[in-house]
Amino acid sequence: MDRLSLNPTTSAAHELNLAQPFTGQPTGLWLLRFGRLSLLLDRRAWLASLLLLLATVVLVGLSLGSGTVKIAPLDALAALFNQGETKNIFIVRDLRLTRVLAGGMAGAALGMAGCLLQTLSRNRLANPDTIGIDNAATAFAVASVVGVSTTLAPSGMALIGAITMLSLTFALSGGAGTRGYRFLITGLGLGAICGAATNLMLARAPIDAANDAFPWTIGSLNDRSGITVSLLAWGVVILLPLAAIVGKRLNLVRLPDAVAQSLGVRVNRLRFFTILLAGSLTGLAVAVAGPVGMIGLAAPELGRRLAGPRTVPIVPSALAGACFTMLADLLGRTLFSPTEIPVGIVTALVGGPYLLWFLLRTPRGKQL
Amino acid sequence: MSVSPPAALQTQNLVLGYQRTTIIDQLNASIPHGQVTAIIGPNGCGKSTLLAGLAKLHPAKQGQILLDGQDIARLSPREMAQALALLPQDGVAPDGMTVADLVRFGRHPHTGLLRQWSKEDQQAVVTAIATADLMAMADRPLTTLSGGQRQRAWIAMALAQSTPLLLLDEPTAALDLGHQIEVFELIRQLAAEGKTVVMVVHDLASACRYADHLIAMCAGSIIAAGAPNAVVTPELIHQLYGVHCRLIPDPISGTPIIVGVQKSQKSEGKNQKG
Repeated sequence: MDRLSLNPTTSAAHELNLAQPFTGQPTGLWLLRFGRLSLLLDRRAWLASLLLLLATVVLVGLSLGSGTVKIAPLDALAALFNQGETKNIFIVRDLRLTRVLAGGMAGAALGMAGCLLQTLSRNRLANPDTIGIDNAATAFAVASVVGVSTTLAPSGMALIGAITMLSLTFALSGGAGTRGYRFLITGLGLGAICGAATNLMLARAPIDAANDAFPWTIGSLNDRSGITVSLLAWGVVILLPLAAIVGKRLNLVRLPDAVAQSLGVRVNRLRFFTILLAGSLTGLAVAVAGPVGMIGLAAPELGRRLAGPRTVPIVPSALAGACFTMLADLLGRTLFSPTEIPVGIVTALVGGPYLLWFLLRTPRGKQL
Repeated sequence: MSVSPPAALQTQNLVLGYQRTTIIDQLNASIPHGQVTAIIGPNGCGKSTLLAGLAKLHPAKQGQILLDGQDIARLSPREMAQALALLPQDGVAPDGMTVADLVRFGRHPHTGLLRQWSKEDQQAVVTAIATADLMAMADRPLTTLSGGQRQRAWIAMALAQSTPLLLLDEPTAALDLGHQIEVFELIRQLAAEGKTVVMVVHDLASACRYADHLIAMCAGSIIAAGAPNAVVTPELIHQLYGVHCRLIPDPISGTPIIVGVQKSQKSEGKNQKG
């Protein structure tokens, strides 16, 4: 059959019983055209995003509604938009919104960062947990809790730690390197140093101070400051479209480098931007939530599974990350209420087995 | 060397290499318009490096490369990609990608953020897939194709780029005889349609049979260039590969065939050079 030259307009196509002769119309994609402008949208990725958006809205409603005062999810969502009882509006907007926003936005940032790093390195193990930024944020935050000399809020210190680490890793690795590996390994090394510093500080600190610092070592949404949360939220709002554009380009880097380059992609510049974006997103997230693990690893897996092989699923990963984090926080707050389990412990407890199940279900390694 | 027909690509005292090592030294080559040029030479002689250099994947350390008389150092990646397509060795496509998905990537240099798919893009993809004779399997995943079909799919991607120049690095590596011929005949057809093709080829007989112009490289320099019948001699083959052989004309195509290849100077030996 492959030897035959098939012209779709001839009857040969019918004789061979082809359902649809190839017309060049992209399959599985929506084509929007306005005059000279045209957009090609991946149908499956958009449906996945819609589905995850729905899940996000449900989880926002549930999260805003749960607590010592129970509010029905729909009422909670209405209260978010200043509708309904004044009491509800106060509880939702003034007491609970920051925390839900913090969880959702941190998860979205980590999901995107994970998706960017995994695609760049073509390695599904690359993720925000391994580039050392969260270790640095932890070390700085712990230093500000147990140390006497600093007066900054821990989350401010965490942000400074993340920025310091990002700049240091860039300076030492001299850019992205092949597939970003140079950057990843440098981050891994520096992260190990920060991890050791954190442990040293905790070992030498008085027990009360060490206890206060504990949430920063596992990731928690308890201790978030309004400023860093709004910084994170704005960061996600601004960086998401950028990440989506970079993701579209990264799709070409899934081809061999030489091919991508000869298609006109400035591969090195793209790598640099990808890592800068992933680093900034991670930094903002850990400044708010601390080193919440597994999100950056698990969210892109779900995003990829739902969105299919044609795209780099930036938006689905962001939404999946937001869902995972909000769900983990919701579980942590309600399961053993009134005792709260920090979100980082829940993500590790639930996320680990989930990821194992997910990976074991895939029989062979996939080329990202 | 730069006397006769206008060159599509020309290198002038080109030096290519990585950091301190020089792989290609002071090379002057010229690729004739609308013909198939084969680059031959032993492993490690710099064939692939030259091809990558011509596609501006490595910047020239010295000298320059002229594309239709213009220094490629001044061209943007996008302009390069509209003029020249490169197919490297061992292309691995991401899982789950279909022929059409892959070929669509070839349109990237012609699209933009808000101009993602024009009618010309669609036409170019259809033409490329038809030329590569893959119409019947356009929507099939690449993993379900045979080696030859997959290679033709990659070539179709390069064709969709709609460039006058096509550089192919060992387009028939790892293909069996039938699939090799498939790919070579496609290449001839492209040249007949006016494309300039440059390919790195290991098999001398195929290079002689399917190329109009031969560039023989050894240790980073060109030791011979011209029409296969004029260039390929037992001496050249000895210089290139350190083997002795005899040449006889192919009874059908008239191009040289290598027989009696042997490393030492004993009189009889195996009669095939892979």
